[in-house]
Amino acid sequence: MRKILKSREINSFLFLAGLIFLVGLINPSFWQPVTIINCFNDSVVFTFLSAGIAFVILTGEIDVSIGAVLGLSAAVGATLLRDGYGIATALFAAVFVGTVVGVINGIGVAVLNIPSLIFTLGVNGVVRGIIYVYTKGAWVENLPADFTLMSNRILTKNVTYFYGAAVLVVIIGHFILTRTRKGKYFVAVGDNSAGATLVGIPANKIKILAYVLCGIFSSVAGMIYASRIGFITPTAGNGYEMKAIAACVLGGLSLTGGVGSLAGASIGAVIMSSISRILVFLGFSSDYDNTITGFLLLTIVVINTSAQNHTVRKNRHEILLARTAQKGGEKA
Amino acid sequence: MKQSETASQGHSLFTATGITKSFGFNSVLKGIDISVGEGEVLALIGGNGAGKSTLMKIIMGIYQPDEGSIFVAGERIHAYKPGISLSKGMYMVPQEPMLFPNMTVEENIIMGFHEKPAKLRKRLKEIMNEINWDLDIFRKAMSLSIAEQQLVEILRGLMRQARVLILDEPTSALTFDEVESLFKIVEDLKKKGIGIIYITHRLTEVFQIATHVAIMRDGVITLKGKISKFTRDMLVKGLLPPDCEEAKKQETKEIDYTGLKPAFELIHFSGYGFWDINLKIYPGEILGVAGLVGAGRTEMALTVFGRDKAISGQALLEGEDVTGLSTRAIMKAGINYVPEDRRLNGLFTISDVAANVTSSLVTGKTMGRVFINKKVEYEIARRYVEGFRIRITGLDQLSGSLSGGNQQKIVIGRSLATGPKLVILDEPTRGIDAAARKDVYGIIHKLKKQGVAVMLISSDMEEIVELSDRAVVVYRGRIRGELKKREITQAGLMAASFGVGEGKQVEI
Repeated sequence: MRKILKSREINSFLFLAGLIFLVGLINPSFWQPVTIINCFNDSVVFTFLSAGIAFVILTGEIDVSIGAVLGLSAAVGATLLRDGYGIATALFAAVFVGTVVGVINGIGVAVLNIPSLIFTLGVNGVVRGIIYVYTKGAWVENLPADFTLMSNRILTKNVTYFYGAAVLVVIIGHFILTRTRKGKYFVAVGDNSAGATLVGIPANKIKILAYVLCGIFSSVAGMIYASRIGFITPTAGNGYEMKAIAACVLGGLSLTGGVGSLAGASIGAVIMSSISRILVFLGFSSDYDNTITGFLLLTIVVINTSAQNHTVRKNRHEILLARTAQKGGEKA
Repeated sequence: MKQSETASQGHSLFTATGITKSFGFNSVLKGIDISVGEGEVLALIGGNGAGKSTLMKIIMGIYQPDEGSIFVAGERIHAYKPGISLSKGMYMVPQEPMLFPNMTVEENIIMGFHEKPAKLRKRLKEIMNEINWDLDIFRKAMSLSIAEQQLVEILRGLMRQARVLILDEPTSALTFDEVESLFKIVEDLKKKGIGIIYITHRLTEVFQIATHVAIMRDGVITLKGKISKFTRDMLVKGLLPPDCEEAKKQETKEIDYTGLKPAFELIHFSGYGFWDINLKIYPGEILGVAGLVGAGRTEMALTVFGRDKAISGQALLEGEDVTGLSTRAIMKAGINYVPEDRRLNGLFTISDVAANVTSSLVTGKTMGRVFINKKVEYEIARRYVEGFRIRITGLDQLSGSLSGGNQQKIVIGRSLATGPKLVILDEPTRGIDAAARKDVYGIIHKLKKQGVAVMLISSDMEEIVELSDRAVVVYRGRIRGELKKREITQAGLMAASFGVGEGKQVEI
């Protein structure tokens, strides 16, 4: 039974392994350990983003404002760093931004009952606009070197500190979601929201919490982004929401909620962020990046949804057939 | 009402007295007294709209009653709420269980408790041993049959130390074998001293499983007491209006069927939700299809209309086989279906009245080849609006702003615009007022006069009696009785709808 549960993550992992294997067949230099490890290192921003949005997707909702949250958090944090504040202060400010947006999203979706795609799309626009106002449309540059160099620091065997931290966070989050009583509430709400309420799970609170966690994870991703890139443009993080959602779907999460895990989402993030690197290795322009991401997302979602519709129809037919069943039970 | 009868078998676990509830001017419950004791199974029977669901919601604390008091285990409860009803040991197993499909049986059962999982698992095992029930608790809920899902719900209730279980039409989606095993479980629960409120539409089950019975009609309990005091015919009588003067049958003359060829015919027609249906409808005839909601009539109509697959059998329209055609082809052949929920299926609420009336013609060429000829559209629409007395401010009024009755007239009017051979009306007057109902009846008679065959699906027995030239009763997806015009009575229809008799021979 446990095997079935885990199989979704294992499938994603096999997909990643197969991808690395195939690319290596075409260009053997891809098979070097450094290259492969760098695929993981480079995925650190998407690992945080995907893990964050995974909380929301597990509850059956969506958040398309994470790209803008990443951008605003990065801009706020980077400005403070440039102006001489410490890293802790900058991180705190960034996380504060994510928390506020998360609370707003959560209230809009869970309390005001507005479709999550629409509400977070609106929030996305507002937050993106705030970035332009906050930065006056200029880049945030000249970040202190000790901050930008952090992203290169190696923990062990070419693995960066940042990726190590991401793995640790994902493991903790995964453990909380699958092993603790309250953690399972997230999946329960996504699986059957009405049923969850009936057994006494505070569905609205859980959804708000999911959005807040998603905001915080996006902010942390923003700070890591700032450290890795070294400067912040007003368009930072633009379009990242699609990649993060695609990463979750590739990692085995169902967009209808209730299925999947943080571990899966983080594997999906590696696949997603490897695509542009793989394109380079295969000699294609990385301009195809978005097209391929979108295509992968659509393919998986179409397959999943068709399978789900089929099951729903089959179940309905079974129930209807049972109604007419007769076995000499009731005589006129 | 006699109050004391129900307390004979054991202590009263749950009692409600003098419960009333209105929604606006619509009074749904008019003074209900109900009581369940230890080890009792109270069968609660009632037609559609009798107020059963409202009563259950009050019992579970989801609705607050306007008047009346509620006692759980002898203690009067004020400010009754869902949390309180659960903690006092009331548990409802809904008709369609609310499980987490992607979780295991065990996860489903222990979800929402505050104790340690290990302790919960131990208790679950004890309960399962006690009622002698074996199921792989590591299976996913998705893979369970409805019967198994219900048992998971019952276990959820027992884990909450439920003393009273409410089973809402538990057998409606069960096969015969599953019904048998459910009854065994109910017997075991009875022995454990659990009180059960058993809501059902099947009178035959009542005598198998219940210790007590209560019949609800129009918000009152018309009959209650120990099951041994009643016969089936007495229960049927309780379901009928007290002054059951037979509704006047319009136009008493019967159709002369000699030499008539059926306009529409179903031969051994089987599909999902209905089985082995044989019927004929003649031109200019109204065939009433009586039964309860969920009997399979809508599924049958939708399958005829090409919205679902038929499993076997044939549908013939004027002798031609129309089985398995697409909805578009079926409409072209001359069959029209007016759905039960017009807001959901039938009406384009944000279009204007004219566009709605003519929408079924859009695919034809009557109204212009590419662009819609507004003049023709308005001309056709005006004809129907005047003919059917649809009350509107103008043809450009948005349909969503009309009353239910006027909406219904538009939907039926629309089907007439295509000049059909067969019109299937599914609950045409549900939820509309008396005046509009008269207009709708007028339209139905107009159809009849034009020689259209009409299939009238209705749960309103009075309506069937009033309009039908012939009637069939559907029970659990099968035809239970076929009645000629002079044989149609409310009592007969009611009995057959609840699975008793063939609809003819009931004498009350």
